[in-house]
Amino acid sequence: MYLALAVAGFRTEASFRAQFWFLLLSGVLNVVARVSIWQSVFQHGTGSADISLPQMVTYAILGATVFSTWEASQLVREMGADIRSGNVVSHLMRPASYPVSLMARLIGGRAHETLLIGLPVAVVMGAVYGFQPPASLGHALLFALSVALSLFLLFTLATAVATIGFWVMDTLALDWFLRGTLALFSGGLVPLWFYPDGVANAVHHLPFAWIAFYPLAIYLGQLDLMESVVTLLYGLGWAVASAGLLALLWRAACRRMVVQGG
Amino acid sequence: MQTLSLYLYLVRLQLRTRLQYRANLLIGWVAQAFGYASVYGTIWIIASRFERLGGWVWPEIALMLGFHVLGYALGALFTFVQLRGMEELVRLGTYDTLMVRPVSPWAFLAFSGINIEYGGHIALGVGMIAWALPQLGIDWSVLTVAQLVASLISAALLTGATLTIIAAMALVLTRSRYLFGIYFDFWELSRYPLTIFALPLQLTLLSIVPLGYMAYVPVAALLGKPVPLIGAAAPFAAILAGPVMVVVAMLVWQACQRRYQGAGG
Repeated sequence: MYLALAVAGFRTEASFRAQFWFLLLSGVLNVVARVSIWQSVFQHGTGSADISLPQMVTYAILGATVFSTWEASQLVREMGADIRSGNVVSHLMRPASYPVSLMARLIGGRAHETLLIGLPVAVVMGAVYGFQPPASLGHALLFALSVALSLFLLFTLATAVATIGFWVMDTLALDWFLRGTLALFSGGLVPLWFYPDGVANAVHHLPFAWIAFYPLAIYLGQLDLMESVVTLLYGLGWAVASAGLLALLWRAACRRMVVQGG
Repeated sequence: MQTLSLYLYLVRLQLRTRLQYRANLLIGWVAQAFGYASVYGTIWIIASRFERLGGWVWPEIALMLGFHVLGYALGALFTFVQLRGMEELVRLGTYDTLMVRPVSPWAFLAFSGINIEYGGHIALGVGMIAWALPQLGIDWSVLTVAQLVASLISAALLTGATLTIIAAMALVLTRSRYLFGIYFDFWELSRYPLTIFALPLQLTLLSIVPLGYMAYVPVAALLGKPVPLIGAAAPFAAILAGPVMVVVAMLVWQACQRRYQGAGG
């Protein structure tokens, strides 16, 4: 059933043709902005001894296409609207877990975005700006695992944030807090190795770093294979913790929910 | 005069409605300011790590970002949320009911829906400008103060006019919401120094999608930095871009309204 929901999520995204072209253009502009920044600072600025421009261009292209956090924002808004209108009840009456259904739809939406938008944009922009392959076959495999972990963490954290909507009723502010947190701590825009040391030391241990930074660092070979495995295990610990937090919040939300009217 | 007092009355009504949930409004301001400040934080990391971005140092970039968010907020509070829902108004036939009222539909939407959720944007923008200006050694005179204020008003007008043009498209195309998405993609590009982009994109942001005049051109003109393609005309272009776009938006709105046939019932 959850597979059917994932397929439905894919088809829903695919049914808006105009939106498809918009997302394609959006993806291209996003990559252009990020790559332009790195080209500017590497070619006209001080550059970096830790990483080369071709590596940063690859980081920017993958960061803009594979590690979009757009669906997380969408999820918070949709769930917020359901909580506010009371429609969440119709989901709760179904013989399926609402959070797992949401995740299935999120996976479907992400699969659509990655296959039909992210991949073409990455291929075309990679051809224009240059694109580096994974550091090794082992890094490629661990990168694939880290993408799955990233998606799971993004979903559990976004759903946990949206669940707070049962108490505060308005999820707009929650959405903005989540967006800001992901922009600053996920490393999707700027890799954590450019952060000031004190900040980087703390951010390296937060779960948000597994949403974009660590998968990209693994892809580029900035971590060796053993370090990559240990990092993934650490991230797995965060996945378990965030799933536990979501389960607790969800149970508490369901207990306090009172539905009036019908 | 009577029309103006009606608009003010509509604004007062909307303000009273929004101020019913003050704590919620305040949290919203803080959250949105945090969202923007986080992105600006990543730009600060790049600028401080690499010393310059497109030839601009951090205080110059901070002034540009503050100018960008403030100009946007001042224009969007009269337009964005109100006009974002234009396609629903058209599809459900609600727009038809606005056309039979004795005031302009655009003005009714703008004033009756004035959105005071931009408090966080405004505080952040003013704060960043106030922090950056004393560090930049600008040779202040009456003329430079007038230039700063006029180009800020121009940026606000540019925002309102561009959002109006996009909303007007819904009158003809029925769907226009995705155009707002494209607007924001270009809008995000316009908060970086234009010199980091390739020439075709610089040209686009100074002509077809003139969001380069939102912050880059006015701030570069104020700081006396060279502006590609328009050079010495930058201070005048920064001041005139908004009013010119307002004229364009009025013409587009009227043309789309003439072609409007209704889509709902």
